[in-house]
Amino acid sequence: MSEKVVIRPYEVVGSPLCVASEDGERVYALVRTALKEGRKVDLSFENVSILTSAFLNSAVGQLYREFSEKAIRDSLSVTDMSQEDADLLKRVVETAKSYFKDPDWLRRAHQEVLGEDDEQ
Amino acid sequence: MVFPLGKTRSDCSGFDQLTRLAKSLELVSFDKVDIDMSGCTWFDANMAAPLGALLYRASHQLNNVRILGASHRLENILRKNEFLLNYGRLPLTDSNVTTIPYRRFEPTDGRYFVSYISKYLQGRGMPKMSAGLHKKFLESVYEMFNNAVIHSGTTLGIYSCGQYYPNVHRLDFSIGDLGMGIRESLRRKKQLELAADEAIRWAFTGTNTTRTGPIPGGLGLKLLADFTTKNGGRIQIVSDRGYWELEEGSVRSSLFDLPFPGTVVNIELNTADTKSYRLSSESNLGDIF
Repeated sequence: MSEKVVIRPYEVVGSPLCVASEDGERVYALVRTALKEGRKVDLSFENVSILTSAFLNSAVGQLYREFSEKAIRDSLSVTDMSQEDADLLKRVVETAKSYFKDPDWLRRAHQEVLGEDDEQ
Repeated sequence: MVFPLGKTRSDCSGFDQLTRLAKSLELVSFDKVDIDMSGCTWFDANMAAPLGALLYRASHQLNNVRILGASHRLENILRKNEFLLNYGRLPLTDSNVTTIPYRRFEPTDGRYFVSYISKYLQGRGMPKMSAGLHKKFLESVYEMFNNAVIHSGTTLGIYSCGQYYPNVHRLDFSIGDLGMGIRESLRRKKQLELAADEAIRWAFTGTNTTRTGPIPGGLGLKLLADFTTKNGGRIQIVSDRGYWELEEGSVRSSLFDLPFPGTVVNIELNTADTKSYRLSSESNLGDIF
């Protein structure tokens, strides 16, 4: 069985600050290539000190556009991440799943807001 | 033209005054623009960000911009945060080191912005925040910068400035852009026609995002709101004619008579906060996906 590919955002970005969407794109490109090759990927956040949702949306969230939840669950793992960053990543992943599952969910969410307004 | 700039705080009336300045400057070019601060008895230093954005646009329209009449005290504040260096003054050392200087960034300057924040937050006069609070504040300002980069479509830059007030344990930091604003972004990308204050509220609601492309989004402002509420701080957003403020869990919004030509986000941090900043869930690394 082939060895896991370890991708380190610290190395890809060249900094402990993984904050910009464009930097997330660089990580995404590597993860995507590995997954398309059928490889398992370990995303190691060792030495990363700051993460933003913008970075994680680019690096991980957009994977759900192309790969199924099962494929991602089976092939992608995350290590060396603090509990609070894991919570943020989980939130990004849940948002991404919703975003790609239902292209019209935003409009419906808005209508719900308007409904609430009507009741005020 | 001469514009008398009065007392300018980070509040509804301070921003209202800037919307009037924006309107006055809108069509002026190849002219003299004098900002008369002789009646300005107070200027919140972070408000240099939105003021700087408007004056940058005026200079871009080839006007000669001057700032006149500021009191000695005000001149010193605005030289310490380097705002007045854009208008012919010399820098003044910030001996207390409580300033995050005024800067203008291009949307591609993400890394420069990161180093700027990291550098100035470590000044010896800056608050000794808990590690968790420090990290959350950094994440929040980067989220704000990313929002301006991703959503505003600005071609005239992103402006920032901050000031720490040690006596009241507050750090105010503002980021402004001269982009399309939230209302217009919603109109273009989601075909939603909302009033400017409603548009800001929409952006803070649930999972709403104006993102329509391959990268999901919509978390930045919600994370900012969650964090600020827990911290006991405040967020203010001005975009187009909309004013939206979240303080102690309560939202206040209103409409200005005139639009601000872009978006400004001001975050006021309670630096004495020692809470832990874990999100409510406790995700298991083996169960993220």
